[in-house]
Amino acid sequence: SPGAPISPAEPISQAYSLALYMQKNTSALLHTYLQHQGSPFSDPGFSAPELQLSSLPPAAVSFKTWHALDDGERLSHAQGAFLALTQHLQLVGDDQRDLNPGSPILLSQLGAARLRAQGLLGNMAAIMTALGLPIPPEEDTLGVVPFGASAFERKCRGYVVTREYGHWTDRAVRDLALLKAKYPG
Amino acid sequence: MALFSVSKTAFLLAFLSLRTYQSEVLSEPLPWAPESLKVSVNTTSQCLHLQWTVHNLAHHQEFRMVFQIEISRIKTSNVIWVENYTTTVKWNQVLHWSWESKLPLECAKHFIRMRSAVDAAKTPGPRVWSSWSSWEEADVQNSLGQDPLFVFPKDKLVEEGSNVTICYVSKSHQNNISCYLEGVRMQGEQLDPNVSVFNLNHVAFIRETGTNIYCKPGQGDGIKGTVLFVSKVLQEPKDFSCETQDLMTLNCTWDPGSDTGLLKQLSQSYTLFESFSGKKILCKHKSWCLWQVAPESQDMYNFTLTAENYLRKRSVHLLFHLTHRVHPMAPFNVLFKNVNATSATMTWKVHAIGKYYTLLCQVELYGEGKVTQHNVSVKVDGVHLFSGLEPDTEYLAQVRCANGNHFWKWSEWTHQNFTTVEAAPSEAPDVWRNVKIVQGRCVVTLFWKPLSKLQAHGKILFYNIVIEYLDRTSGSEVLSIPAPASGTELPLNQCSSQIRITASNSVGTSPASVLVVSREPGNEEVEEERVKGTEDGFPLSWNPQPRHVTGYLVEWCEQPRDPPCDLQWKNLGPNVTSTVVSSDAFRPGVRYNFRIYGISTERVPCLLARKTGYSQELAPSDNPQVVMTNLTSHSFTLSWKNYSTESQPSFIQGYHVYLKSKAGRCHSGSEKAVLSDDAVCCKYKIDNPEQKTFVVENLQPESFYEFLVTPYTSVGEGPHDAFAKVTTPDEYSPTLIRILLPTVFCILLIMITCYLKSQWMKEKCYPDIPDPYKSSVLSLIKSKENPHLTIMNIKDCVPDSIEVLNKQEGTRKSFTETESTKPTYLYLLPTEKRYSSPGPCICFENFTYNQAASDSASCGHVPAPPKAPPSQLGLLTSPENLLKALEKNYMNSLGEIPAGETSLNYVSQLASPMSGDMSNLPKNPPEPALCSEYKMQMAIPLGLASPPSSGSSSLSSITLLDEGERYH
Repeated sequence: SPGAPISPAEPISQAYSLALYMQKNTSALLHTYLQHQGSPFSDPGFSAPELQLSSLPPAAVSFKTWHALDDGERLSHAQGAFLALTQHLQLVGDDQRDLNPGSPILLSQLGAARLRAQGLLGNMAAIMTALGLPIPPEEDTLGVVPFGASAFERKCRGYVVTREYGHWTDRAVRDLALLKAKYPG
Repeated sequence: MALFSVSKTAFLLAFLSLRTYQSEVLSEPLPWAPESLKVSVNTTSQCLHLQWTVHNLAHHQEFRMVFQIEISRIKTSNVIWVENYTTTVKWNQVLHWSWESKLPLECAKHFIRMRSAVDAAKTPGPRVWSSWSSWEEADVQNSLGQDPLFVFPKDKLVEEGSNVTICYVSKSHQNNISCYLEGVRMQGEQLDPNVSVFNLNHVAFIRETGTNIYCKPGQGDGIKGTVLFVSKVLQEPKDFSCETQDLMTLNCTWDPGSDTGLLKQLSQSYTLFESFSGKKILCKHKSWCLWQVAPESQDMYNFTLTAENYLRKRSVHLLFHLTHRVHPMAPFNVLFKNVNATSATMTWKVHAIGKYYTLLCQVELYGEGKVTQHNVSVKVDGVHLFSGLEPDTEYLAQVRCANGNHFWKWSEWTHQNFTTVEAAPSEAPDVWRNVKIVQGRCVVTLFWKPLSKLQAHGKILFYNIVIEYLDRTSGSEVLSIPAPASGTELPLNQCSSQIRITASNSVGTSPASVLVVSREPGNEEVEEERVKGTEDGFPLSWNPQPRHVTGYLVEWCEQPRDPPCDLQWKNLGPNVTSTVVSSDAFRPGVRYNFRIYGISTERVPCLLARKTGYSQELAPSDNPQVVMTNLTSHSFTLSWKNYSTESQPSFIQGYHVYLKSKAGRCHSGSEKAVLSDDAVCCKYKIDNPEQKTFVVENLQPESFYEFLVTPYTSVGEGPHDAFAKVTTPDEYSPTLIRILLPTVFCILLIMITCYLKSQWMKEKCYPDIPDPYKSSVLSLIKSKENPHLTIMNIKDCVPDSIEVLNKQEGTRKSFTETESTKPTYLYLLPTEKRYSSPGPCICFENFTYNQAASDSASCGHVPAPPKAPPSQLGLLTSPENLLKALEKNYMNSLGEIPAGETSLNYVSQLASPMSGDMSNLPKNPPEPALCSEYKMQMAIPLGLASPPSSGSSSLSSITLLDEGERYH
């Protein structure tokens, strides 16, 4: 019946598997992305942690804060982040289709990352349903996109998105591992 | 009504002002100053956009005016640009002017002002300017936003090779900002405390996705950058050309050159403009464009092709008459009719171009390695007859057409194959023969060459052979040999015959080749001549025959070393007396034999000449197998009879015999030669190749020699590798052998004789000691004196009752005192027992010779051990001991020693008078007490027994055996 509680173990397990799978590919995506942007992005050891996007919540969080979160908050943060990531990956894919039209590998990797992020979103929604948590409404996290951004700004933007995608995936693996331990199948 | 009055007023004002201008133009300041100057900034194009109006211009007035525009940067006093802009100004007109800044406009404030003047080029004198407008400021820095760092210009598009200025604007007052172009740091100059400028000269195209330029502060705060899009320079289209296939459509083509497309810029576009019709089309393709021709309306076309991108335009022009650019389509429907052995008819169709045009078509025929070409004029259908073709041959025919009135270009070829039909072979097969007599019968082997394709006219199926015996009684034989064969062997019933050979294909039979075989053998005594081959072959020549010949024939074997020698021949005309025989099969170092025949009118061949030679002579690779005989101390003979001079890789001219010796001297007939290994040797030269023996003389006995026989030719000698070795024998050894052999034989004979007569020798040289029991004396004594007398038995002797009588005490003393004076004795006993103890003594009596002595002797006193060791007795029997005993040659013979002096004494029965010096003899008798002696019973030659000549007091024994011991 619609009102019957569903065991959260299965959606947690599915989400965890997907997150682990995503985790394997995040560094490859970042590497591919940077290689296509030219110097300084393609320089060995390139890193610009100070670059951030106001529309994308950073994954970095102090362990204490993260540990203090309850399941609902943790899932809610991740859900919000991956919602933002799916929209941003779409934007970055569009940018790169413009900037690097002759690089199908990069475009396909960006597309695959966006689809997986959407898949993880669906899994998280199932977990929240199973746990009886309210699902936050889908928001337009991007808001007004600066379409006039310069090519360099778009390259930076893509870098931040692919980097944060990796960080958020890492964090989601941790979140789900915690949940998995709490709700064994 | 109000509008009308306003316009009327304006008109009046304009009119008045014109009048004023006309009267006061040179004295009053210009009233038409620029006003309402507005400046806007377009950062995308980095342009300052100005717009203004002209004050006080009447409605109908229209002037040509000059506007002087000044642009300052950072501050008004820093004027960086002054330009006069001339234009025609109308009433109420808003004027526009743009200026593109090389420095990104975000990098610095700009100030603009202007003034105007009437452009009175015809009026002499200085220009009268209006007053300057006030400075207008163009500043976009305020609208940049809150970021700490900006890099400009953003996404700039430039052409390769141009100069670009980049700047950054820092809002955090940081000075240690570094900027990079593709990872390489750029050196800039500071424009103001917050702005630095970088001038990039001749920027290069790196990639279509742009060149990254970025800046970063010393500490943190991220990176900022921009992408510079460098485009390749747009090139002028090359090889622009238009043509039509059907007078309906023009196809214009060109070479576009490099693509200038970038992310920020599409590839260049091409537009085609025709000036007579005024039509213009945008081409969809980069390198070609189709233009529809309006039928029968326009003959001349003037095209302009324009290539254009964001930065540049380039154009090319082309003017032509349409009918001069006709490039017809390829002909079609090419067919062949009436194909027979030597001719065929080709037909084809062409695509019509208009009603009144004639096409010129070119027909080409390929076959048998030849090409023939014909031109045919065609309206719609083309026809051409090929004649003089070869039967049974595949031909390729192709046709192409062009406009016959104004040639522009040929169409593509259209080609088609056809094959002519077969015909009877045109030539008789080239036949030659070899005749041999087998068991009294003539066997002829026929060889023929396959007919060439041009002669065969089809596939040869059979060779027909008709043998007609010249003796009419035998009739004729007919044979048919299936085609791939190139010869056959025929036993003939009779030698004298005529053989006719023909070749047949499916259509007919060739003319016959006739050979006549006769019983008479050819003229085999023709002398063989040598011929020198060249790179082109063997040049052969012969004397023309006085009698009529129908031709000559040269025959040779291409594989002379192999049993089926691959007989070849060459037919030559009757007037030919020389030819060159060449073949790819000729190999260097192989001897080829050529026989030249004259063919009589009766078809009987007659051998005229024999030639032999090499296409290239090679140095011999092997030396003869040499046999050495007759070795003496001064000479030996070399022989190489088995060496075949015929089968060598070049003509053998003779031989060189090399002789190496330690002496190194060469005798007459030889010369010194130095070999490749620097060895020096003597060289004998043999000029006759058939002389295959050689005697090497003047050698030293007992010497070591090395020799080598090698053939020499015009191209060199054989290898100098294996020298044979020989040592001459001793000079005297034959003589020695002559002497030694008989000597050895004699000695052997003597030894054999001695052996055979050993008993006699023994008796003569050392007879057996007689047995007293068997002595005849015994019987005599027995019978005469005492019948009881017996021979003493040794066993009866009492050993401890020997009595020695020695009268001379002094002598014995001296003996003991000086042993050196002691005479030498050889004891019968072993030497170690010499002085130790008195040994057993045995007395032998020979009554035969010394009756008196034996009488006086008393054998009963002979001391003897009861058991005498047999060895002691044995000592006496051996010849060696016998000879030792001879040493004890006492010169004092028995006669001087009284028998009574020594009781035990054996006296030689053969004592001879001694002629030696008796004074030196010891006066003392030999040691009597110890031992008995056996006195030799054989006479000793005086010479051997003579004492030493020196006055030595000792008595040396005479030594007969070198190895014997000597006692002093």
